[in-house]
Amino acid sequence: MTATISHTRLRVLFAFFAFASLLLSARLAYWQTVGRADLLSRATDQVHSDLVVAAQRGVIRDRNGAILATTVELRSLYAIPALMTDRDGKDLKPTVAATLAPILGEKAEVLRAAFESGAEWLFVRRRLPEDTAARIAALHLAGLGFEMEPKRLYPNGAVGAQVLGFVNDDGVGQYGVEGRYATELSGTPGRLVVARDPANRELALGLRTAVPAKNGDDLSLTIDLAVQNAVERELAAVVEREKASGGTIVVLDPKDGAVLAIASSPTYDPARVGAADAEALRNRAISWTYEPGSTMKAITVAAALDKGVITPTTSYQDVGYAVIGGRKLCNAQCKVYGPTTVTQILARSQNAGAVFVASKLGAADLNAYLKSFGFGQRTGVDLSAETTGIVRPLAEWYPVDLGTISFGQGLSVTPLQLASAYAAIANGGTLYQPYVVASRRDADGEHRTAPVAVRRVISEETSATLVTMLTATVDNGIANAAALKGYSVAGKTGTAQIPSDEGRYVDDAYISSFAGFVPAIDPRMVVVVVLEKPQSKLLGTVPAMNTFKAIATDALRYARVQPDRP
Amino acid sequence: MRGASWEIRSFLLVSGVIVSCFLLVLLYLAQATAVSAAGYEAQRLAAQRDELRRQNALLVIESARLDSPGRVETEAQRLGLVRAATIGVVVPEAVAATR
Repeated sequence: MTATISHTRLRVLFAFFAFASLLLSARLAYWQTVGRADLLSRATDQVHSDLVVAAQRGVIRDRNGAILATTVELRSLYAIPALMTDRDGKDLKPTVAATLAPILGEKAEVLRAAFESGAEWLFVRRRLPEDTAARIAALHLAGLGFEMEPKRLYPNGAVGAQVLGFVNDDGVGQYGVEGRYATELSGTPGRLVVARDPANRELALGLRTAVPAKNGDDLSLTIDLAVQNAVERELAAVVEREKASGGTIVVLDPKDGAVLAIASSPTYDPARVGAADAEALRNRAISWTYEPGSTMKAITVAAALDKGVITPTTSYQDVGYAVIGGRKLCNAQCKVYGPTTVTQILARSQNAGAVFVASKLGAADLNAYLKSFGFGQRTGVDLSAETTGIVRPLAEWYPVDLGTISFGQGLSVTPLQLASAYAAIANGGTLYQPYVVASRRDADGEHRTAPVAVRRVISEETSATLVTMLTATVDNGIANAAALKGYSVAGKTGTAQIPSDEGRYVDDAYISSFAGFVPAIDPRMVVVVVLEKPQSKLLGTVPAMNTFKAIATDALRYARVQPDRP
Repeated sequence: MRGASWEIRSFLLVSGVIVSCFLLVLLYLAQATAVSAAGYEAQRLAAQRDELRRQNALLVIESARLDSPGRVETEAQRLGLVRAATIGVVVPEAVAATR
């Protein structure tokens, strides 16, 4: 009887457990199959985080690999004022403010006011220098924390600012290379969806979906940091000495149009763009135009030589002026030179001589050669905000324009256009498109920029003849101040009047310039120096030539170019 | 007697299955815990790696700043150094002619 009861109990118990197990299994099977999606969704909502993974902005280097711009994560200091209490609940805001103030160089009252403003969360300082962040972190102050934020850094300060441009607070490239190559440099952000625990740690066994970020491309520029530094140093010095309102210098490699340096004054520090005025942000080498003055005579003579209407020894009788279109165009100070060859026209920079050459050439051909040399159109340099300059259509030329344009008045050019044109003269007659980015490196490897030969503008023979004439201009002529011991130099000065808004020329203010290349034979660099309103006025070409000389001396030594003269 | 033996065997079998399942669950939990712990450790190491990379990037920038020609020039001036007035150049042809 006892055994029977025991067996019955056992059977009931067994049946109960079997039924319960069946029930649990069924329920489990339900949640694992039919209800799985619902459970997963609810669990995911509780623990998953969906983050945008920022792409690393590309590094910009000079032609020798020196870093010009790069991005690092810096610590931004934030505050949660409600947590600024000690264990007893005592308010620590005044203490935290007083401790932070000397480190941040801020008044304690300002920090305290920010903490007591009612904000639940606020940035105290963004992107702190690393040592400052480390000092604050070591204090373990209540209610403070750090968050990483990317910052674009320019280790050479303001050097190369006009070429590089800058990155604004939203991480968008502006001006220069940063602006022109904004898409390539910025890359593509990724996405990371992960499950996290309550301490915000990623769960190893949790959900994980990752689309990796594609970092921005690294760029290597044609810019040479050493040359760029010399150019900016000399430009700053001459602008200060001459109390000039501005200035710009362009250095090109005439063999392929590579830009070795561009400087523009006034300039700015990319790390403190907010403090710069709008004028300082303008790269005058490409975004500003001026009447080039007598540097244009080399182009007029090049055109006439190439057309075969003159030779270096073609002569005319100089009477101090030329009459064209019913207007009398004088030499500087109306000086009379008498019998003059074309070589002497350049060496003495005679306006009447340039008019003589242009008259031989004719307006149609002069206009065609100006366009062929690239004036009146963008050079195509890979920098933001390039302007075209103005060469009016031939149909709009008055008869006198043939004369004035022959010596650089009545048209406007950018300094880079002039440098490109002189590079064509220097390299044997080929106009190259100037370029700044030498190569781009992405995940697939390095992509080098192929120099672009735009067109042949003059023959090699014309080029060689003109180089000889421009060398004579430096050796024996008006540009003698640009002569360099040990090296042959070819070049031409320019003094231009400044048009006013009323359509007249500004009184007693000039733009002084020098365009030249060195060594004259097998040239390594073309340098264009432009000074706006130097205090030397009509003699402003002398400081321009001195600046050319200082830059050439440094750059030739640096490049170890062997002297070509005793 | 045969019936009781069957029931005891069944009971032991079910109990054995339950215990086995329990052990399997324990094993699974132990593994899951170990993987989670390894995951946390991996994250800690990844964060450490990222911080070292960041510190390295800062050092690279500091190195670039110290190498900057502008800074070197300023430092040279501070030390009283001046530019060489002339640099002697040996012409290879002239050297070859003397041999």
